[in-house]
Order: sequence, then C-alpha cells, then structure tokens
Amino acid sequence: MLPNQLKKLMGKLYAIALIVFAVWYGYFIYPIIFSHAEHHGLDVVTAKAGASVEEKMLQKVMSEQKSTATTDLGYTVVKEQYVKGHFHHVGMTMEKDETSVCARCHGSVPHSKAKPIRAFLNMHAFFIGCETCHIKAKPDQAPWSFRWYDKITGKILTSNPKGLVETEKEMHGNYGAKIGPGTLASDGSFNFLNGERERAFVIDYLKNKDALNSTDQSKMKKVIHRLVDEKPLLCDNCHTSSQKPYIPFDELGYPQRRIQQITSTEVVGMLQKYRDFYFPRFVMPGQTRADQPAPNAEQQADASKAR
Amino acid sequence: MGKSFFKTRVILFLTALLLCSMAGLSNAEDELNCVLCHKHRGLSRIDENGNLRLFYINEHMFEEGPHFRVKCIDCHQDIAKIPHDPAKKVDCTTECHLTEPSGQKNFSHKSVAEQLNKSVHGKFDTEGKEKKNVQDFPGCKDCHEEPLYRPLSFFKGKAGGISQRGISRCKTCHRTGKFAESFYKHVTSRLQKTRQPVEMVQVCDRCHSDKDLQQRHNLDDVVNTYKETFHYKAIKFGSDETPDCLDCHVVKGESVHFIEGRNSPTAANNNKNVATTCRTSECHDKASENLAGYRVHVTYDKDKYPFLHYMMMFFTGLMAAVMYFFLVLIILELLRRLFPNFSFTKSPDDGHH
Repeated sequence: MLPNQLKKLMGKLYAIALIVFAVWYGYFIYPIIFSHAEHHGLDVVTAKAGASVEEKMLQKVMSEQKSTATTDLGYTVVKEQYVKGHFHHVGMTMEKDETSVCARCHGSVPHSKAKPIRAFLNMHAFFIGCETCHIKAKPDQAPWSFRWYDKITGKILTSNPKGLVETEKEMHGNYGAKIGPGTLASDGSFNFLNGERERAFVIDYLKNKDALNSTDQSKMKKVIHRLVDEKPLLCDNCHTSSQKPYIPFDELGYPQRRIQQITSTEVVGMLQKYRDFYFPRFVMPGQTRADQPAPNAEQQADASKAR
Repeated sequence: MGKSFFKTRVILFLTALLLCSMAGLSNAEDELNCVLCHKHRGLSRIDENGNLRLFYINEHMFEEGPHFRVKCIDCHQDIAKIPHDPAKKVDCTTECHLTEPSGQKNFSHKSVAEQLNKSVHGKFDTEGKEKKNVQDFPGCKDCHEEPLYRPLSFFKGKAGGISQRGISRCKTCHRTGKFAESFYKHVTSRLQKTRQPVEMVQVCDRCHSDKDLQQRHNLDDVVNTYKETFHYKAIKFGSDETPDCLDCHVVKGESVHFIEGRNSPTAANNNKNVATTCRTSECHDKASENLAGYRVHVTYDKDKYPFLHYMMMFFTGLMAAVMYFFLVLIILELLRRLFPNFSFTKSPDDGHH
C-alpha cells in the first residue's frame, strides 16, 4: 500500500476511534453532571407516595433481596446476610434453594399455621426437601430412597454435603444441599420425586398461568399437588429411638454421633416435653392442660394437618 | 470390700464422664442448652407483619463479643424452661448477673438508655410526653447488632487482632480461664471505634434515607448529601480516620448516644459550635472559623431551599452546556476529517466545475 493511502487510512481510523471515545465520554459524564438533581441509590427503599401496606412491603422485600451486612473486625471481615431486627450475628449468607419445585410458590420459610412448631418445621425445610415429609409412598409402592441434592443445580451429590461431617458445628443445616426422596429404577439409577422434568413443568406452568382462566388454574394446582399427602410425616417418625428412623441417616452420611443426638434422649426427650407442653392446648384450644389426656399419634397427625 | 471398691470406681467414672462432657460445653453460658435448637440456621418463621423472625444463634460469632459471658436468660429473662413460650422483647436496661467492676453493681445498659432518651433520638419530649410518630425513633436494636470485639495489636506496629506476644505477658499472671483474652480484646476494642466509619454511615442510613420518615419528621436527606462530601469519599476508599456521622454530631467527650438537634445550644452541629467541632485535635485543629462556614449537608429541595435548588440547576445546566457543546464540536470536527468533501448543499456536479 502506498504511504499516502496508509496515512489517510490511519487518519480515518484515528478519527473513528476518537468519535467512539467522545460518544462514550458523553455517556460517561451524564450521571456525574446530573447526579445532584437525581435521587441517589437508596439502601432503604421508599415506596411511592400513597402506596398501600402491601405495595410498601413488596418494595421493601425486593430491596432487601440481596442485602448483606459487612463487619470489618480488623483481622477479619464478616460478611453475612442482613436480617432487619435480628440482633445476633448470622455469620453466613443463606444458600437459596433454586431447584425446589415447591419453594417456587411456597418460599423457603413455608410453615406458618402450626404456631408452636412452625419455626422447627421451617428449620427442617432448610435441609430437607418438602417431598420428604409431605409425600409418602403408597402401600403398593416401594419405600422411597433418599439422596442429597445440590440446592443450586438440583444434581445428586456424590459425596456428603460440605459441613455435614467435618465442619458440622459451623454449618447448622446450611449445607447447600437438601435431602430429597425418590425411586430407584431397575438399572439402579435414582430419580427424585420432583426432578428436572417436574421442575421444568412447574416453571412452564408459572410462566403461562396468567393465560389460563381461574378454573383452569385451580385444575393445574390440583394436578401439581396430586401426590401431596393430607397427613404429613410426624416428628417421631425420624426422631425415634424405638424404631428405624424414616430417613436413613446413616445412608445419607450422617456421622454416628449426630445420629445418636437426633434419635436419642436429647432430641426425642425434648420432643416429648414439647408435645406434653404444647400439643394439648394446640389440639384443643380453650381447654387447660390439666383437663386433657395425653395426645396419641392420631391427635399428633391431626395437629400436623394444620401445618 | 470388693463391691464397695466397684461402686467407688463407677462413681469416679461417672464423675469423670460428667466433667468431660462439661469441658466440651461452649464458653458461652448456656445452662438451658438453648443451642440444641437455636444452633440451626433455618429456625425461623414469618411473622404476622411479613417480617422474617430468625431464631438462629451463631455460637462462634456470639463468643467473639462482650456478651459471651452473659447467660441467655440474663437477657431473655422470661424464659425459664425449655420448651418455652414465645419470648418477650429483650429490655437492654435490665440488670444482668455480671458485676460492673468500677462500681461493684450489677451491669446494665440503663445509663445508655438515659442518654438516648435525652438525645434528639429519644422517644419523649422535654415534658415527658411521647413524641409524634414515636415508632420512628430508634431503640437499641435499630442501631446495634450484637457487638463484636475488634482487638488491636500494638506490639510491633498497629495491626488488627490479638498480639500473641503481647497477651503472653498478661498470661504470665492471669492464667485462669479466658480472662486475659477477654480483657485484652475488650480494652483494645475500646481504644478505637467499634465500627468502621463506612459501617457507621450505613447504620444512620437505615432510617435517615427513608423518604417516608424524612417527610414525617421534616428531615433533610442528610446521609445521601453526606455521601457527596470529601469526607465520605475518603471513607468509601477505606479511610478510618475521616469523620463519619458521630464525629460531627457528638460533642467530644459525650456519650455517642447523646446526639442533640441542631437548634440545641450545646449541639455539636449548632451554628455556634460547628467550628469547635471541626477543630478537635484529631481533625482540623488549626483551622480558622471560616472552615466551618459552609453548608455540609447541601440539600436541593425546591420547597425548603429554593436558592440552593436553582443554583444547582444553573450550574448543572452550565456544566452540561459546556461539556456537551465541546463534545459535539469535537465529533463534528472528526466527521469532517472522515468526510472532507461532504456537504448538505453542494450538488454532486459542483466538484467538476
């Protein structure tokens, strides 16, 4: 190429580059120039004037979705989930369950009806899939098998979840994994009751449900919940020292020390105390504790139904 | 003889077992074994107002603060049995079992509450009547999470954490339990701010950036306007020497809980006192009165500060006009270099004549 033409080409490329830079610079300085006239990004959300309680709540919840608190102690920095009004430090961020079919509508803190035990039920929902307690095998079916699944990917864990054994004390159920029930195929492969196919179906339904009329939405809800038992699993189906626990803790990698805690006096005895203490009032509101007989398994089941 | 010896051995064995199990207990006082349930991260529920109520206690974090020697029931005093009924809200002014060493009295945060009540953040006015919109005024938990120690090492230069060489000297005499560590962490934490300035600003931000609250109390958007200052820019880049909210709003030597309104004659930010506040020994000690002659929290509210508002509009417009005028000029000049013969008016044949 002749030197003159090369020079011209370089000049044009130079001009093009500068034009691009000038346009970008105009875009870049816009917020700097006009920032004083705008509201700055507020950490505390403010709803529009006249917003209802519900609208304000939605805005607040949306703003707090990913809020974390950082505390610099000089020798370490603690980054944790921010929970407004919670005095004690959480010390960790919560691992969300991205794969649970149920949590898409019911959320990760789903239990609220059974007042005396709702917090305990939610605690279990942190590391036990909803299907574990709410879908039991029918008499003509083989008992479920159980596996840990990754909360993010939904895949079966090939080894014990982080924190179950080695650093259990630090994790407190925040394993990044949950126990889910499923069936074993004849070739030995494992399928969760709510696996990828069911998840895809529910996602598809939620995407298209506004196009359905209310009657059809009810139909679909019925279909989605068709496997859900009216009476869920009871506490002492797992926390038992007298029979084999419903969840096979040893097969799921629980250390013996932990299995003993879960199935021995510490927890089972606590449950008994809790039942004696709360269930009579809960099952038959209005009566005093002294008036009532000790609850049997049927009463417990009825109480659980209210969950 | 044989039976008695066997019994003694069994008793000794059981005693040893008990002692071993006690040794395994956490340092935190947990007589009722509250963590049996409260150690689980998911122990929570959604309350009637839609707020998350989290009942989880992180034992490890709990042991890193001054409350680690306090029993659970010292604060949650209505809980005397397990399982328990819903716990009442904790009253930080109640006395706990710890003895305050200087006065030999049971420890309490009552004096802090008294300071807070006297301050602009107090829920009652000077006549003892509840203030309007009293729900907006902060309680302890609105500004405080559980405090954590921020120990410092001075042994060879200042650094975060415990100096093992330093504390080994304390332990020469103070050998029992964790007294030396606790004392060291407590004292060195108190020799500095217990929060980084950027964290302090976030605390004030929680309420003061709430537009509804600003409207209810006729407040300016003070935190966001502070964030435009040099002081905050330095803090944002990690400075812990630059003033945060407390440095300018608390009179030197006063409790940080005693923040007064600007109209109070003794307030740190009263017009007459601002210069003194700026000229504290840690800040601009040699500055003249005029240093404090500017408005720190510049708010451009059209109704409250029309002059500032229109001034801001004028300078914003001027800045935009100058910057974008020259940018357009530069772009046109560069386009001319790209298309030297381009014209909107010239016909294609003009060039041949």
